[in-house]
Amino acid sequence: MQYIEVNDLSFHYEEEPVLENISFKVNAGDFAMLTGENGAAKTTLLRNILGLLKPSKGSVSLANENIHGEKLVVGYIPQQVASFNAGFPSTVLELVQSGRYPRGKWFKKLDNEDREHVEKALQSVGMWNERNKKIGELSGGQKQRISIARVFAMDPDLFVLDEPTTGMDVNSREEFYKLLKHSSEFHNKGILMVTHDHEEIKRYANKHIELIRKENSPWRCFSMDSCKELSKHPSSFH
Amino acid sequence: MFFYGFMQRAFQASILISLIAPILGLFLILRRQSLMADTLSHVSLAGVALGLLLGIDPTLTNIFVVVIVAGLLEYLRKVYRTYSEISIAILMSGGMAVALVLMGLNDSGATLSITQFLFGSIVTISVQQVWMLLSLTILIIVLYGVFRKQMYTLTFDEETAYTAGLPTQVMSILFNVLTGVTIALIMPIVGALLVSAILILPAAISLRLSKSFNGVIFIGMGVAMIGMILGLIGSYYLGTPPGATITLIYIGIFSLTALLKKTM
Repeated sequence: MQYIEVNDLSFHYEEEPVLENISFKVNAGDFAMLTGENGAAKTTLLRNILGLLKPSKGSVSLANENIHGEKLVVGYIPQQVASFNAGFPSTVLELVQSGRYPRGKWFKKLDNEDREHVEKALQSVGMWNERNKKIGELSGGQKQRISIARVFAMDPDLFVLDEPTTGMDVNSREEFYKLLKHSSEFHNKGILMVTHDHEEIKRYANKHIELIRKENSPWRCFSMDSCKELSKHPSSFH
Repeated sequence: MFFYGFMQRAFQASILISLIAPILGLFLILRRQSLMADTLSHVSLAGVALGLLLGIDPTLTNIFVVVIVAGLLEYLRKVYRTYSEISIAILMSGGMAVALVLMGLNDSGATLSITQFLFGSIVTISVQQVWMLLSLTILIIVLYGVFRKQMYTLTFDEETAYTAGLPTQVMSILFNVLTGVTIALIMPIVGALLVSAILILPAAISLRLSKSFNGVIFIGMGVAMIGMILGLIGSYYLGTPPGATITLIYIGIFSLTALLKKTM
């Protein structure tokens, strides 16, 4: 089932084109990585997909429903979460619990199942013991980890992640990629992730969308040649 | 002091303001809109001046003008996303300019009334104003209870709130409108020049004292209540303007808590 469809998308900042002729799909169960050099408008593309920016040409469609016929839940981690609203008066637990709200809990109390999800998410990023800390007291890496925990607690159908592993060490990154691969492979989650570590992720992702600079363009404009299917490696994470 | 009807109404109004100020104040601070309260209070003056010129109840024209400008603020915040304080500068000076021009066009004793609105007056609080404040307090507390989770998510990060399916723009406009109506109602009591301090300071003090979201609001209510009541008593005995007296007490509490936090 198709979660994201980008069809001949172009995006211009005023007159200057920054993205042109972008087309790809992300389905349920896909782990797609989006790469490109610095300034390749990767974040701009994600923001177009999420509806935060409007394409100048072409179209983007996000599915309304997930594979079970329920409302599609999107989990988004923006770039540089380390600089997030650090003075916000919230404990780590409160913030990660807020990830459950879009799961039909805007007007309902969180139940045991929600609490289990939250605990599991915090355990998976090694932040359970820090749950009563104020978020402003955390280091940059810890803030990154609770942002990831918040999205995992949400249990979204589609993950849209903008360089989520910035500042993470190699082992933490490996664990994170395994968790994502497990989510896509065994729970049919769709994943679109902007990354610079494409060599590391190659063995987890099954799609590679690369933004490349357009030749003969007077502007610093990016496009893509194709959406490459990568060979699937068996998951080692259960 | 408590036998005077106007003081009873002043205390009733103060308790109600203490309940709503930390809720709105916290969201204003976290949304980096602390100066919005100042802008709306300046615009409020234009609303009051319009009412006095047309011979209509100034509270009604005030609410009308502030609600329109609260919506306009959200539009300008989007247009000048990077420099959102531009919208504040435009509307604050614009509001003040319109108020002064309307006052100039009014030949009756409007200047005296405007002075009351500028500095606040506890003598002028009417029973009708207390009832309006009570209705507003109930509305804000109910809305906070119902939409606390949505507002928490919106305030933490507007973009992730949008991707989580929240109608962020509608919520922002409604929040601005609610803030505008509150300012229009409390301005005659505390004064246009200090209304933002009354809204912002209790939340600013309690932000340093609690690490949870609800904790900040509840402590803020306590701080606001102490500040408002002590300020009113001080204003009564010293004959000083209520808004200024309350603000000075808040600044005293702020300094004291900052000092205590440092020594602890």
